[in-house]
Amino acid sequence: MNLLITLINDALFSAIPAVGFAMVFNVPRRFLPYCALAGALGHSFRTLILHFGLPIEWATFAAAALVGTITIAFARRHLAPPLLYAVAAIIPMIPGTYAFNTVIALVQLTAQSQVSPELTGAVISNGLKTVFILGALSVGLALPSLLYFRTRPVI
Amino acid sequence: MYADTQNDITRQVVRVAQLLLAYGAESDLVEEISQRLGRALGLGSVELSISSNSLVLTSLVHGRCITTTRRIREHGINMRVVCELQRICLLAEKGLYGPNEVRKRVERIRPKTYPAYLVIPMIGLSCASFCHLFGGDWMASVITFVASAIGMSARLFLARRHFNPLVIFSITAFVTTAVAQLGYECPLTKTPELAMAASVLMLVPGFPMINAISDMVKGHMNVGISRWGHATLLTVASVIGITIAMQLGGKFL
Repeated sequence: MNLLITLINDALFSAIPAVGFAMVFNVPRRFLPYCALAGALGHSFRTLILHFGLPIEWATFAAAALVGTITIAFARRHLAPPLLYAVAAIIPMIPGTYAFNTVIALVQLTAQSQVSPELTGAVISNGLKTVFILGALSVGLALPSLLYFRTRPVI
Repeated sequence: MYADTQNDITRQVVRVAQLLLAYGAESDLVEEISQRLGRALGLGSVELSISSNSLVLTSLVHGRCITTTRRIREHGINMRVVCELQRICLLAEKGLYGPNEVRKRVERIRPKTYPAYLVIPMIGLSCASFCHLFGGDWMASVITFVASAIGMSARLFLARRHFNPLVIFSITAFVTTAVAQLGYECPLTKTPELAMAASVLMLVPGFPMINAISDMVKGHMNVGISRWGHATLLTVASVIGITIAMQLGGKFL
């Protein structure tokens, strides 16, 4: 029951950023609900996998692959490029806090006169998480076209 | 096919490719659409060479080549234009559009954007949702909403005046962080650091980064690296803004 409430909360609050960023990218109005749907499904699927104890990189990879597959289905139905839905949908999964923490630690490190091991550790671990989650996101998103649509166009 | 006709069709194909790149499509999509459009309009083959800020296109019909180069200027991301161009390509492929219809429809494309009174509250809500997802309390979400809405209005204001994107990102980051620091000043929230982290998330260059990696994965190495470099520069620019605001606020350094 608790898990269900968490998932619904997740779906709701990741659909809002998906629509918001889709508007920044000027996605036409009739596609906005699909962006919201893909964003909500992707993020709550990641939360579900994280709940079973997988590391965040693999969870992100699986969720991005799910988003990639759904958006290809949308794209074939509406004859629009799949990235139109996909990029807005994965915005809630972008490792913003990790990137933020990396940079803040880096700035603090610069301001100090000697290198401190805690700050260096924070830079390295947060930075690695950022890079690997971003890689997982975009490779997961490209997965359907790498595996299935190898020699023919999506639409 | 006459040389004049080939010239005309080549110009239209290169115009489509130029628009696609200027409004933020990934290189694989640009290559695919221009080759399909060219073949649909009667060209033998179309070859593209895309670099970070220009585009060379060669069309081949009956052993006669026409090569043309276009400069690409970034216009910001507009998926409406990309979607429209994809539509035109599909219609031409089905045989419904000839060169004249394609030209008319491409000329009619206007990069419409959403009005500011819709985008600003939606971005505020988006960043507030991020704050909620990270585990911030309600007051932190409200502070995030206010900070990112003010930041977004600053960003749109500067973008209308055609400032350099790097300048826009630093100033926006500065304004947003300065407002979000109010969470530390007044004892409304227990999680002021989450409000600060979430409100600058609207500056994460998600589209260039995803485009960069997917270009590199699909073999367009030089475009991918240049987009990655641009995304990194944008991040560094926003970090500079955040740092200045934090130092003025005296919170960290």
